[in-house]
Amino acid sequence: MKNFLFIYLAFGLSVVVCQNKQLLYNWEVTPQTLMLNPGSHVSSQFHAGIPLASQFHFNAGSSGVSVFDVFADDGVDINAKISNTISKLSSRDFFTVNQQLDVLNFGWLSKGMEPVYFSGGMYQELDVIAYFPKDIAVLAWEGNREYIGKAYDFNDVSARADLLTVYHFGVNKQVSKKLTAGVRLKLYSSLISVSSTRNKGAFKTSIREGSANVYEHTITDLDVEVKTSGFISLDALEQSQVSKKLLGRALLGGNLGIGLDAGMTYQFDNQLSLTASVLDLGAIFHTNDTELYKAKGDYTLDGIELIFPELVNGEPAIPYYDNLEDDIAREIPVDTLNTGYTQLRPTKINAGLHYDFGRFVGDKGGCNCKNSGTKQKRVSQAGVQYFSIFRPRGLQFAGTLYYTRRFGKTLSIKTTYTLDSYSAKNVGAGLFLNLGGVNLFLAADNLLQMSNLAKANSVSLQVGLNYILN
Amino acid sequence: MDVKISKQFILLTSILLFVSCFDGTDFDQTNEVVLTPEIELDLIYFNLEASNFYDYANNTEVLVVEDTTDLDFLGGSDINDIIKGADFYFEFTNTIARGFNVSFDFLNNDNVSKYLMQTTVSPGSENTPVVSYFVQSLDALQIKELTKANKVLVTVTIPSSSQDLSGVLNLQSKTTYYLQIE
Repeated sequence: MKNFLFIYLAFGLSVVVCQNKQLLYNWEVTPQTLMLNPGSHVSSQFHAGIPLASQFHFNAGSSGVSVFDVFADDGVDINAKISNTISKLSSRDFFTVNQQLDVLNFGWLSKGMEPVYFSGGMYQELDVIAYFPKDIAVLAWEGNREYIGKAYDFNDVSARADLLTVYHFGVNKQVSKKLTAGVRLKLYSSLISVSSTRNKGAFKTSIREGSANVYEHTITDLDVEVKTSGFISLDALEQSQVSKKLLGRALLGGNLGIGLDAGMTYQFDNQLSLTASVLDLGAIFHTNDTELYKAKGDYTLDGIELIFPELVNGEPAIPYYDNLEDDIAREIPVDTLNTGYTQLRPTKINAGLHYDFGRFVGDKGGCNCKNSGTKQKRVSQAGVQYFSIFRPRGLQFAGTLYYTRRFGKTLSIKTTYTLDSYSAKNVGAGLFLNLGGVNLFLAADNLLQMSNLAKANSVSLQVGLNYILN
Repeated sequence: MDVKISKQFILLTSILLFVSCFDGTDFDQTNEVVLTPEIELDLIYFNLEASNFYDYANNTEVLVVEDTTDLDFLGGSDINDIIKGADFYFEFTNTIARGFNVSFDFLNNDNVSKYLMQTTVSPGSENTPVVSYFVQSLDALQIKELTKANKVLVTVTIPSSSQDLSGVLNLQSKTTYYLQIE
């Protein structure tokens, strides 16, 4: 199992995607469908994910550049390729990595007067987003010489990384003949968190008539901040102690937070249905082990003015340089704080309009209505899906057209075409196998680039193994 | 059953894994990445009044005035490793009716000279300021010496002076640093 996971981790790290799971949304894969929409139809009586293999998901993406753009073995100097890439990217371009591993996932149908499907579990998540800090990259790569008069904007710096575990428990209920709804309560335990998302201010070198020296270097309206949680206590620890400490945090020993998922399915008729969900509506309260760095102020640098004082013997020279450093420190103080802070989770919204057609699948030869009392399944389903996620610079969207084909009870295949911030040619496919209650699924994105992932802007992969009792 | 399923699963996923690859890429190129920013930064400036060159109390000429400032950033080992060249640019605007010799002596902690720059400034007049430029470009070897210094001693020498002398000697200066970060 260890090797098995390693292969996927290694594979995952070498590819690129975001948090959209368009292939799993509203598909056969019960536990994962419920995680994406707590109000989805459930037709099983019981499910249990194989621990640590119930779902592994990896997404990495960059909106404006592929690995190939920089690392192509084409004889062109890599520095020239980096220069091109920097000029091509804008500060709205971003890099993301999202990885989830289901540690536990289970659910059961409670058959009372009012049948309710309960589900719960725990998963680990790594989520990283970094916007391309265009101005800072230009300054670092080329310097200010060719850019006299240009303001380098600190607002370009925006990045966030979170490693956390999530404990969740949800209920799913068919409210009426047409409506199924569900909610899921989540408890977050943050292992490590770093963010710097609300920066402002600018640095400029300019030539101004009447200024004291050749240039005037100005920092205007600077207000930058880096927040960390879970780092300082790891600093002094040995490697083995770090793992122990992180494991403790994974088991609800970290900074805690609370969140909610909610979703619904509305069945218009036997063929047409609408689904919608909102996920991770919540926040983490970072109260322990926090360290925040803030710098704020304005400063204008002209160089050092010499005043040629008449010094009597033994009198020390004027400490111009120390005075300059003191001035800067006074005007732009850098504070280190240990105050707590609250961080909203990146909330996601899913929605879909689904149309079933074709002949009926012989699901026990009749109605599949244990929990939901839903229609008998048809062999084909097509539809549109919408996904969005709240990121530091606003919403990111994706739209998906999909087609699902069922081959008896054993096999289901879903294909998707997705239009998102990364690309307009993202075709994905998923394979779902049901072998005697054991369910396997495999889904991957950007298949057109599968022959050479280096050229892909994003790829996602989801694999999982579950036991489901229908 | 479980084993059989796992095998099928690995087979299926492996197909996906192995048909995909990173074609035509060379990640060793990372070793060749070099940042070469060129930084423009103000250096020193001053406004020396003609009166600085006469001691009114004792009625004597003051032919040499000097001042010194630390430039700690030059002497740091960080900058030493990455600085590959520099252009020093000095612009004098003189309204004093005298020429000047000006030297910039870069000293280390023990006041030992590591690099010396010298120039002359043309005489001007209060009505017609005269501008003199001095540019010194340092190559990798010269900058290596200069970065052993951490302060600069500025000496301004006037050939003769009098109590009637008027005007101002203004200096503005900047440096272009050529960095190479590997």
